[in-house]
Amino acid sequence: MMKCAEVHPNLGAFVLGGLDSEEETEVRRHLAFCPSCREKLGEFEEVSQALKVAPPLADPPSYLKDQILSYVRAEEPSPSHEELSSSRDSRSKNLPLLVPGVAAAALVAVVALGIFFGLHAEPPIATIQLTPVEKENYWGVAELHPQPSGNQQVELKLNNLDEPGPDSYYEAWFSSGEEYIGAGTFTVTDSGQTDVVLTAPPQVQNYPTFLITEQSATGDTAPSKKVVLRGEAP
Amino acid sequence: MPHRADELSDEQLMDQLAGQEEVGAALSALYDRYSRTVFGVGVKLLGDRSSAEELVQEVFLKVWRSSHTFDSSRGSFSTWLYRVTRNLASDSYRKRTRRVDLVSDKDPFILATRDSSPGPQEIVDDSWLSWRMSRALEGLGAAHREVIELAYFQGLSQREISQRTGVPLGTVKTRTSSAMKRLRAGLAGEDALQEDRR
Repeated sequence: MMKCAEVHPNLGAFVLGGLDSEEETEVRRHLAFCPSCREKLGEFEEVSQALKVAPPLADPPSYLKDQILSYVRAEEPSPSHEELSSSRDSRSKNLPLLVPGVAAAALVAVVALGIFFGLHAEPPIATIQLTPVEKENYWGVAELHPQPSGNQQVELKLNNLDEPGPDSYYEAWFSSGEEYIGAGTFTVTDSGQTDVVLTAPPQVQNYPTFLITEQSATGDTAPSKKVVLRGEAP
Repeated sequence: MPHRADELSDEQLMDQLAGQEEVGAALSALYDRYSRTVFGVGVKLLGDRSSAEELVQEVFLKVWRSSHTFDSSRGSFSTWLYRVTRNLASDSYRKRTRRVDLVSDKDPFILATRDSSPGPQEIVDDSWLSWRMSRALEGLGAAHREVIELAYFQGLSQREISQRTGVPLGTVKTRTSSAMKRLRAGLAGEDALQEDRR
């Protein structure tokens, strides 16, 4: 019969089902009489159970990282932007040397990211100021950007919203007073600024009231009465 | 002399992001460490690669935008990132469970209906274990990860792994058991981090 020292290296493979049948039989025979090895086996079985919920070992597409970093660099003011700006003012002779490469890179980034993230080049057609209903420190704006499809992109810039209650989430609505159009759901993980981009159908232009409600994931899907922010289209 | 981003801890990189220092390098390093986990858990939660790719974008933009809200005294970066990932995945899931009916009678009212698929709570039930296992797998060295990948995910026997990799059978067996031990330790480590957060 196998000794413990011989069984230990085989236990991982035993749990994963990778031993030859003779080896497996030998290990089983040893385990029947060895509490110490059974204990070790139990530890490996826990790992084997956890492996069942392991996500696939796959890399995201390589372009994703570049897109994310390009977006961040385009949004984030950096010393190089300031230098470029000051050189425009005071050293215009250097522009032909400095600008083309940077400008071309920025343009590519803006165009690519605009397409990728569904961003808008046009200013908003309307900005709705959102005021708190219950908690006074909540505030924000909803900017409406028309899309070529006719849909309205709704860019929410919200401040100080708390994380919604357990099994709850926030939902944005346009209202005519009687009917409601849902514009999308979101949550916040931390207090502070929350930026959310949602898409609403073209008809919302006839629904002048904008609301953000806290919805229960297990409750009714109609707008809840728990309105946290509201505003009127100008 | 400043450290390279890949030599810094997750928490130090978050400090850099919050302080707007070397933002690109810091976010790049965090992406390299965690994007596979976010993507893998995203595929598992949302069911397809396309949705998981969107999730990866949203998560890392959130990391950048919300870096100032991360507090290392309340828990590890990994635990914080898990919560961000889970919440954004739940949002994505909810959006998909709503169906817009705009064409039936030109009535713009949106029917916010639910389908019969599992709710947000169900889809995240296993996600913490899934996250921890992904982190444990990421923590393995290449040789250990290879034997687990071949043995568990591809279902090869130890002998087949030996033949495919050219590694002696005895070494394959030892590596497999060693990898299982390390995975167990990795899982326990993430458990401890979660306990710290509570």
